Amino acid sequence: MNANDLRSRVLPVLLCGARREAGEELLVLGSSRERSVLNALSLAGQSLRFERPAVPSGFAVERWPRDERRIVPDSLRRPILRLLDRSTDDTARSLALAFESRKFRPHPFDLPMLDGFVRRYADHLGVTAQFWVQRAIPAEQVRGYFEADELAAENWTEGSLRLRVKFLRELRKQDPEGARRLLEQSWPGENPDNRVQLLSTLQAGLSHEDKPFVESIQKDRAPRVRAIAHRLLAALSSSTGDNPALAACVERIQRSKTGLLKKRNVLRLELPANVKKHETNRWIQEQFTDVTLEQVEGAYEMSRRELVEAAEKDNNLLFALALLASRENRFDLLDAITDEAPDTWGRMSELGWEEDLEKDREELDARAAALIKPRKWLPAVPFPAWSWLHRQNGGPLPADIMRDILASTTWTEQLEAEKKGGSELVQVICALCPPELRGLIRTQLDALEADRKDKGRMLLDILDELESLV
Amino acid sequence: MAGISLDKIEALAPDQASLVAARKLVRPGGWSGLSSGDAALIWGECQGSGSSPYRVIVSESDAGYKCTCPSRKFPCKHSLALMWMRAEGKVAFQSASAPEWVQDWLRRRRTGAGADSDKEDAPKPKSLASAVADKPEEIDPKSEARATAARERARREREDAILAGLDDLDTWLLDQADAGLAGFAGHAGKSCRSIAQRLVDAKAPGLATRLDALPNRIYGLPESARPMAAVEQLGQLHLLAEAYRRQESLSPELRADVRREVGWTQSRDALLTEEATLTVSGTWRVVGTVSEVQPDKLRRFETWLWREELADGPQTAVLLDFIPVAAGQTRGAFRTGERMQAALVFYPSTRPLRALIKEMMSPAQDCGIEVGLPDVDLLKAYEEYELALAAIPWLNNWPMGFSNARIRRSGERLFICSADSDAVALPLMANQTDATSPLTAVDSFSGFALWDGYACRLCMAQTWFGRWVGE
Repeated sequence: MNANDLRSRVLPVLLCGARREAGEELLVLGSSRERSVLNALSLAGQSLRFERPAVPSGFAVERWPRDERRIVPDSLRRPILRLLDRSTDDTARSLALAFESRKFRPHPFDLPMLDGFVRRYADHLGVTAQFWVQRAIPAEQVRGYFEADELAAENWTEGSLRLRVKFLRELRKQDPEGARRLLEQSWPGENPDNRVQLLSTLQAGLSHEDKPFVESIQKDRAPRVRAIAHRLLAALSSSTGDNPALAACVERIQRSKTGLLKKRNVLRLELPANVKKHETNRWIQEQFTDVTLEQVEGAYEMSRRELVEAAEKDNNLLFALALLASRENRFDLLDAITDEAPDTWGRMSELGWEEDLEKDREELDARAAALIKPRKWLPAVPFPAWSWLHRQNGGPLPADIMRDILASTTWTEQLEAEKKGGSELVQVICALCPPELRGLIRTQLDALEADRKDKGRMLLDILDELESLV
Repeated sequence: MAGISLDKIEALAPDQASLVAARKLVRPGGWSGLSSGDAALIWGECQGSGSSPYRVIVSESDAGYKCTCPSRKFPCKHSLALMWMRAEGKVAFQSASAPEWVQDWLRRRRTGAGADSDKEDAPKPKSLASAVADKPEEIDPKSEARATAARERARREREDAILAGLDDLDTWLLDQADAGLAGFAGHAGKSCRSIAQRLVDAKAPGLATRLDALPNRIYGLPESARPMAAVEQLGQLHLLAEAYRRQESLSPELRADVRREVGWTQSRDALLTEEATLTVSGTWRVVGTVSEVQPDKLRRFETWLWREELADGPQTAVLLDFIPVAAGQTRGAFRTGERMQAALVFYPSTRPLRALIKEMMSPAQDCGIEVGLPDVDLLKAYEEYELALAAIPWLNNWPMGFSNARIRRSGERLFICSADSDAVALPLMANQTDATSPLTAVDSFSGFALWDGYACRLCMAQTWFGRWVGE
């Protein structure tokens, strides 16, 4: 009996049950039925063990994209794994931004261990990371893998939303009409999130050439798209138009006069009685979503400055105006508002407020300067507000603001030896710290317990090393 | 410090919290008697929350450690802190001879460091006084004879018990074959547990462990492969039973293999002192580490070593350590890539693999240089496995060092293949799919893997991206 016999004659008997199926063929393998069955079992088992594993009929072709970025040096691989193990999202974001600005990518072998990080920040980490994230999704849903500077008019629809917005915004600066034409072409195939983000890029270089397109999307199905279109049209026509949202706001703003010798306008926002205190911020945001600053000015026939002065006693109305000012990049006005209401930043963060309209680095820095004034007064905001700030600012704060933050009582109180707490605040402050102030913050952190400062210091060390590599 | 680097401490630490806790202890103020001695030992006493200080010892040569604290983390923060102070070099360690508690630990370890110490103890200056003092204890011949007889009686009783257990095993195997093995996987757990228990009673723990592990092994395979795997695995059990019954007719090496599989053990002392054992000295590289929990609640650490010199004797060795799961240790003392000079003594076998460190001439240290794996392709390495299987038919894991391989995907599974032929494609373990996915970007690599007959565990790959380690 050879291996083929064992497979064709003995194996079926063993699989189906020797008691019922035992045939003559088994009996030759031993002196009794029992011995024969056991010997058959051993021989068949051995025969199977010598069968080589079947070679699959076909293998998938995996085409890893060519990635021009540098792989992060070996010396940083383990520190990065340690840093990202149970770190805050601010730390991860800060690292991703550093990878992007210095054109680094994670080591391919670390991708499985950094899976969460890579999924969240694939756009910042290069084309290999984008490939890694998309490797398990069906081929028809796979987008292209691009660096931001590789996108062009021919392939811009294949990049990720973030890269596309970045591309369109840059193009808008150089060729506003060309950018709008590209957007018009891709518009029917875009989902609501994409439409909101992409439409926002028209704010830069807005002109009457854009009007027909913006008018054509006034009746978009997505309310947020309609709101942006409305704002863009208002900016183009310089008229309040017939805006029901504005009428609803005006209905809630009480106007009066005060002063004995010189009468001054006073505006107060009356909240509906059923809006509870913790719902105030949300209500204000929703109420003013479809309204522009210009429309509010027109409704009260006041300049923007006068509006702020008239609302100075009403924090809620100031907050509403701050939202509008921030959205419309009126940072001078935002600056005036935060002089009166320095907790605006905290209220925005409680709201988890995200700007509809993309801002560039310069605008982000200007907004940060208008929102945060540590030299005057820094509210004792909780950690999530700092985290919101890092997310909104998309990187470190300008050095002059950060220097004041590091000198503020709010921060220095955190450095007292008896202060207990987690490492989250330290991590986000380190993430917000620009390179030139890392030495200062390191010195400050010396006083802290190791478990509070370790992640922050690791982040600073890694960022320093990444930035030092030529 | 030669033996322990900060990287190694980081690798040894059971978690981040331990490192943070250890860092707080890295200051000489909390320690007393920080000393270093011969045989690459350092020790000290750390005042903890208890009334008496914890005694901490670390062997620099192999990162062994011992602390008297009650922590269930291994290594504890005290051991890590002691290593840390040494690695940083900022704290002075006084040279001293090892106190009794350090020597006691050394004696019980019996590893390279311990062996050194023993050797130092051995040659003492000759003197009449010490000769009188060292007069050996007189042995009572009668009690010695009684003890020998008792040992022999116990051995015979165990042999009888095992033979009876093997008969039960055959009966059980026959029942399974009679019932049909197509459906064996459906009741494997309960069925194997009962016969494994019987084999424990019959003092055949090796077979019992094999049976306990069998259900998981079968369930880990695709459903279509399970009936065949049942035939293979149960067939091996009968083969082992038969080999045990006929062991007198086997070669001494194969006989040792059979008895070890059944559950007879050879003590470390016996192996180290036996003259006939195979001892191989050389430069060994750690090419793979495996940490697995066994059904008997022991964690098994396997350290696979590759000898850099091409010379007679085994090229591969495996060090096994067993730690109770409750101890909490999840990593062994060695890391893939490390290199050491050591003399290994091998357990007798037709294919010697399992070994002990008899003497460590230089401590295990991280090494970035590529391991000189053999210039053979995967097919050739697989043929070596087939030869080993012919010699030891119940073989479980077989080490394979190879070059010019690549990882390819077919459906959900990944396979190790030769880079330029489809002659053999070994499926990777399912739990390695994610970790090995990046290797699909590599056209060719040399590597080290363990093949268990069903799936490959890739332990290490050397690529142009650098070293990939499957830990």
